Amino acid sequence: MDLTLTEQQMMLQSAVRELREREYTKETLVAIDAGVESTADHWPGLLSTGILGSLIPEEYGGVGASLADTAVVYEELGRGPVPGPHFSSGVLATLVLLEGGSDAQKRALLPGIASGERVFALAITEEDYGWGPEFIHTPARVRGDDLAIDGTKLYVHDATDATDLIVAARLETGKIGLVHVDAHGRGVAARALPGFATGLCELSLLQASVPRSSLIGGMEDGWDVLERAMRKASLILSAYQVGGLSQVFDMSLLYSQTRRQFEQPIGRFQRVQDHVIDVVNYLDAARWTTYEALWMADEAREGALAAMHTAAAVTSESYYYGCNSAHDVHAGIGIIREYGLTLHTKMSRTLYHYLGSPRYHRKRLAQALGL
Amino acid sequence: MDFDLEWTSAQLAFQTEVRAWLADHVPQLPDHADPADLTADEYALQRKLGRELGEKGWLYPSMPAEYGGGGLDLAMSMIIEEELDRYHLATPPYYDTGGRLGSASIMVWGSDEQKEYFLPQILKGEVRTWQLLSEPESGSDLASVSTSSAKDGDDYLINGTKIFVGSNHGAEYSWTIVKTNQNGERHKNLSWFMIPMDLPGITVEPMDLLLVGGERGAASGVKNTVYFDNVRVPAKHLVGGENNGWDVAGTHLEIEHGLLRSAVRADEMLERVMAYARNTTRGGRPLTEDPDVQDSLVDFYVNSQVTRLLHFRNFAYRAQGRQLTYEGSQAYLHQKRSALSKARAILDVMGPRALVSDPEWAVEDGHIEVHQRASIVEQHPGGTAEIQRVIIARRLGIGREQREQPGQLPTAIKQGQ
Repeated sequence: MDLTLTEQQMMLQSAVRELREREYTKETLVAIDAGVESTADHWPGLLSTGILGSLIPEEYGGVGASLADTAVVYEELGRGPVPGPHFSSGVLATLVLLEGGSDAQKRALLPGIASGERVFALAITEEDYGWGPEFIHTPARVRGDDLAIDGTKLYVHDATDATDLIVAARLETGKIGLVHVDAHGRGVAARALPGFATGLCELSLLQASVPRSSLIGGMEDGWDVLERAMRKASLILSAYQVGGLSQVFDMSLLYSQTRRQFEQPIGRFQRVQDHVIDVVNYLDAARWTTYEALWMADEAREGALAAMHTAAAVTSESYYYGCNSAHDVHAGIGIIREYGLTLHTKMSRTLYHYLGSPRYHRKRLAQALGL
Repeated sequence: MDFDLEWTSAQLAFQTEVRAWLADHVPQLPDHADPADLTADEYALQRKLGRELGEKGWLYPSMPAEYGGGGLDLAMSMIIEEELDRYHLATPPYYDTGGRLGSASIMVWGSDEQKEYFLPQILKGEVRTWQLLSEPESGSDLASVSTSSAKDGDDYLINGTKIFVGSNHGAEYSWTIVKTNQNGERHKNLSWFMIPMDLPGITVEPMDLLLVGGERGAASGVKNTVYFDNVRVPAKHLVGGENNGWDVAGTHLEIEHGLLRSAVRADEMLERVMAYARNTTRGGRPLTEDPDVQDSLVDFYVNSQVTRLLHFRNFAYRAQGRQLTYEGSQAYLHQKRSALSKARAILDVMGPRALVSDPEWAVEDGHIEVHQRASIVEQHPGGTAEIQRVIIARRLGIGREQREQPGQLPTAIKQGQ
């Protein structure tokens, strides 16, 4: 029993923190959010830390770190919140390739992810939205030695930043195929969706043609590969949300101490205190369900699946409600974009459904508990 | 990070020893849904077990051996807790919150003489102690107590009324804070006394309450009103000095605000409600197939996990000697609030059967009906949910330049008694 970070994890944490504070100041993050700067401008800085290869084994050019170590990185990025395709590429696509890719595919693609040369996005969901195989309709048809994909993938995270895509499509056999597609290939077009969300895109595939060897997972059903990858990726996403929430708590606490109204710090009022306390309660519920689930996954413990669904549901709900409470603390100041709280509010909404909503995870939790 | 409680071979050997000893010594006791049903004979058996544990230093395993504790480290104490938990018992195996809290205050604030006199009696299970805090006019504002004492020669004469006290089957000692300076400044006008319950002038009268429960395995049974009518208490029973009672109380209040719960305790009610759902059909279909039932059970499960993890975090931090600030009250608040959500989930899953104590129709021998009442009753002891929030706010330093400092704890408690 030891609930502290290892020395190595602490070093990792401070390295990423240093990077975040240098490359992603609040002013930069607000500018990225406003579209004045782009995440690509700051990509080299992120690459220099080697964090994109965290989950990639050394033989493929990565670090081969555990989920818990990788979570330390992502919790720190979440504090920004640092946007960009680091999660799509370094976590989600990486795990799909590790779970389902052939050795040749891993050798061809993973080193590029680790070095940042290739940036992957995963195109899974569509207009008929959901996180199950039944929601994948976009067809991939065999045309000689090629596969032709036709359709529109929606709410694809970071597609406009990607060089490569993994597209979930319906094969003629009825199975789900995970197809590696060149993001700049013919018939492929990504468009950022404006609104109250960060990094969501529409991806159009118009007779996009790729060699049949681009299928990841070979004969195995692509959904099974995706499911295994998402179970792990979900834990890293939770850690990112925990980081976001911990920043939201720090902002709320500081504001309650420094903002004065009625000639005293507003935190003197119990009605304000309650909102700050709500944030710390959401934070700690998210933090400890996530940490335990990470530990169980790395150790392959019985109950790891239930712990993952618990963490995912609790964390997405906590980030959502924690931001609401933070807005109660900050009132008008909180909605001034320059202040920075809305970066989190927006992120909490963006990630709410990502890899499954709280309701989705609660349903899966019921199954994992044998109900 | 490591969430495992892994034992060394020496610790495993100790576990075997404890398990074997308990198998020989734990008496057969009925699993009363309502702790008030504990008979005098059953209580006597619990006390006997307590004395036998005390003899081995296992009643208060982490308290210093020189005063009758076990002087054992955290792991050994945990092992004893875990093994007793199998019998739905805890240390002590009867209601002795007064001893658990009071011994800590005496450890920190008592004179050497007082430690040598009071602590062995408590730690060896020779006495049971009640805590006397609330009064009819003093609840959350504990420092406003009006029970008073006047110096009379070498003694103190105590007068007043305390409520929500103790258990059934009596106690040998009680401790309380009383006002010793009628005109003194708030928080500097109180004194902490360890009082023998057989002194003339003490009257104990059971209260009629929604539920008379307490901690599992150490259930309190009944709550009483205790009247002090010119009770003469010798000065040697004053702990921590005159008008220093608020600081002495700070020690046990610190423990009560979330540090009492054992880290190993399983959520028995979760097991009961899951088992009920798995073994029940409604309209010809298993209850577990009903999506509404699934939702309720998952809510229950998630709440239970968060409460468990917050307490586990606190326990692990203390084991590492880390000073807790807001965490104790946070875990306690979550425990209190989720008790109400859990009660609602049970009511949703079981319907009106959850409310029935009738022997023919009650679920789980009445444990479910008792829980429906207990979830309400659980909201106030050890400080209301609102008081926990006040403590969290002060400890986080919300709206303050300086955070409030926690009450002073004895080393043994810091390390996880």
